[in-house]
Amino acid sequence: MRFDLDMPAWKWPFYVARHPFEGFEDLRWKKAYNTKVAMVIVLCFFIITVCQQVMTGFLFNTSYVKVFNIVPLLVQTIILFFTWVIGNWSLCTLFDGEGSVKAICSVSAYALVPYLITQVVVIIASNVLLTGEAAFIVFFQYLGILWSVVLMISGIKTVHQYSIPKTLLAMVFTVAAMVIILFLLVLLLSLFQQVYIFGFSIYTELMYRFSL
Amino acid sequence: MPTMKKIAASAISAIMAVSMLCSSAFADQPYEGYNYDWWGDPVPSQTGYVVDRVVTGLDFGVGKRYNSEAQLKEISEQTGKEVPAEEAIEEFKEPQDLFVDRETKSLYIVDSGNNRILVTDVEYKNQFIIMDYFYNPETKKYETLKNPHGIFVKHDNNSLNENESTMIYIADYDNNRVIGCYADGTIFQTFERPSDEFYGAEVTFQPNKVVVDVAGNVYVNILSITDGAVMFAPDGSFSNYFGANRVEQTAQAIANKFWRTILSREAAASFIQAVPMEFNNFDIDDDGFIYTVTQSKSATTDIFKKMNPAGENILINLGYSDYTYGDMASYYYKNQTYGSQITDVDVDENGTIRLLDFGNGRIFEYTDECDLLFIYGGKGNQKGLFTNVTAIEAYNSVVYVLDSRKNSITTFKRTEFGDIVHEAMSLYNLGKYEEASGPWQEVLTRDSNYWFAYIGLGNAELSQGNYSEAMNYFYRNSRAGYNRAFKQYRMQFVRDNFNVFMIIILVLIIALIVLSKLRKHFKKKKAGGTK
Repeated sequence: MRFDLDMPAWKWPFYVARHPFEGFEDLRWKKAYNTKVAMVIVLCFFIITVCQQVMTGFLFNTSYVKVFNIVPLLVQTIILFFTWVIGNWSLCTLFDGEGSVKAICSVSAYALVPYLITQVVVIIASNVLLTGEAAFIVFFQYLGILWSVVLMISGIKTVHQYSIPKTLLAMVFTVAAMVIILFLLVLLLSLFQQVYIFGFSIYTELMYRFSL
Repeated sequence: MPTMKKIAASAISAIMAVSMLCSSAFADQPYEGYNYDWWGDPVPSQTGYVVDRVVTGLDFGVGKRYNSEAQLKEISEQTGKEVPAEEAIEEFKEPQDLFVDRETKSLYIVDSGNNRILVTDVEYKNQFIIMDYFYNPETKKYETLKNPHGIFVKHDNNSLNENESTMIYIADYDNNRVIGCYADGTIFQTFERPSDEFYGAEVTFQPNKVVVDVAGNVYVNILSITDGAVMFAPDGSFSNYFGANRVEQTAQAIANKFWRTILSREAAASFIQAVPMEFNNFDIDDDGFIYTVTQSKSATTDIFKKMNPAGENILINLGYSDYTYGDMASYYYKNQTYGSQITDVDVDENGTIRLLDFGNGRIFEYTDECDLLFIYGGKGNQKGLFTNVTAIEAYNSVVYVLDSRKNSITTFKRTEFGDIVHEAMSLYNLGKYEEASGPWQEVLTRDSNYWFAYIGLGNAELSQGNYSEAMNYFYRNSRAGYNRAFKQYRMQFVRDNFNVFMIIILVLIIALIVLSKLRKHFKKKKAGGTK
């Protein structure tokens, strides 16, 4: 059965999810990378993670929502995603990868779609099921993660035109690169904080000196 | 108008006076009550117990030896010094154990430093009885104790002789033996280091605590043995080890296990054998369950166990194997870690479990299913605070705590709040959930943080069939309770709305069929059009 590949941009993620292997080839061939759609997916990723913390049924909710803090969730989703994209791009451009930032960004976001869909199913199911029926929830969780991982491997492979072993190696090194990036980020942040404190103490000192 | 002002002023002063009275009533508690919420965070709570009395040996004047005149004479002859019938009690010296004999309502104090046992009644009304010379019929001599550490009293109601119906077992630490004697001090049995080959060759026999079950088996806790308590058959022969702790699952233990499966036996032998932590103290309840506690800062496995006569920890089946007993978190301050170290356990006639925390000097009171009820006590020098707790006993809602550095016994009595909680609890344990809901409501009006009241009320609503109310009570208080209530609620919901569900499903099926037909129709049209 032939597929009509001239579909609108928002249909591509679902098409890719249904065709894990040739889907990305089609995407590449059609040059149908779309940053807007990718951004919407990343935003959904964030919103669904928040929902998962707050709306998961009491029987299955293990997160500490006594004090709800959105910053860690922001780091866990949006910042993590962009670190992945930047890390992957900076690594793979050095190792003959063909993907541009736009391509990597769209492909990575599209790969998240199955995970997000199953996560929604899990959130709804957790409000309906009993603890004895937890197997369904676990099944959907693993299904979503597995599917997304397969899509991510396939997507990165296609975007950079790598072989599978090289893709896997690149992904492992991307994780290492992410750790380095985040470390530098934290370092930078704390240094700027130091600078700020230094400036502020000079300011207060001056204020006292001139008794304002 | 001035009269109004006067009235107002007097009213205000009256209120102030009353409030000051109230505050002074609160002020004599040196600790603040707290409990843990669903998240494991401490929340302030009403105190269940307040300090009643603190007594030392000096409060009791003169004690009386339990030996008869003739015996005293023989003792004097044997020891070559005058042993008077009455003697001043003086201070206790590092007392190690307490025991409440519920049948005779007497309190036994193991005054280790003075090598004697003191006996009084639970209200300290009677004159103290001093037990220090024990008659051994085999050698026909009087023997003394040397640093006794533990005591257990058992009653044999079949015995005709009143004297022989009381059997006192004393863990005589530095004499390396456990003696069993009757109320008059006649030793009827001595348990010494077993010569059995199962008993390790280098292992000493310094009994720390002793308990005896209904069948007459004697369990001796020895701190240098990690295999469990040494168990003697009623005839005095060594029968087995009882109820060892499990090995802590540390990373090293797991790694060792992994290497041992790979390497040869010789190579594996060079590894350090992972050894479980020994338990420090135990108690037995009326049903024959033995409760052990492990006093260790670092251990997290088997801190508290409830064992059946086969030596199996039955709390694992309830899902509490890794439950944190004592304080949820330890804290680090000035190069020292402060955390709970459970040193003694007491189970009273209602099954209430009290754990004594050496690290923080606190008492943690649990239901028989390990749900936390109250926390009281603390570290310090005031009344009701402790420096070096060693033993806890409870009788009739009075709690006795022994401090071996203050050389004192502190009694706690239950507050009104504690009484209400226990009233509700006893109804709850009998399964009378609806009768218990009144007291639980009363508990909540006094302390809305008291989480167990919500569970009680949830069960009351559940037994009346009010499932959604039960779910509200169980929400963030009990997952198991919520699960039960939700199961019923869901079933009822589906049953009540069965017609609606069926209609929705039918409509969906019809809509799907129609849609697919329409789709085919349009596709055909489109295909036909392009051709």
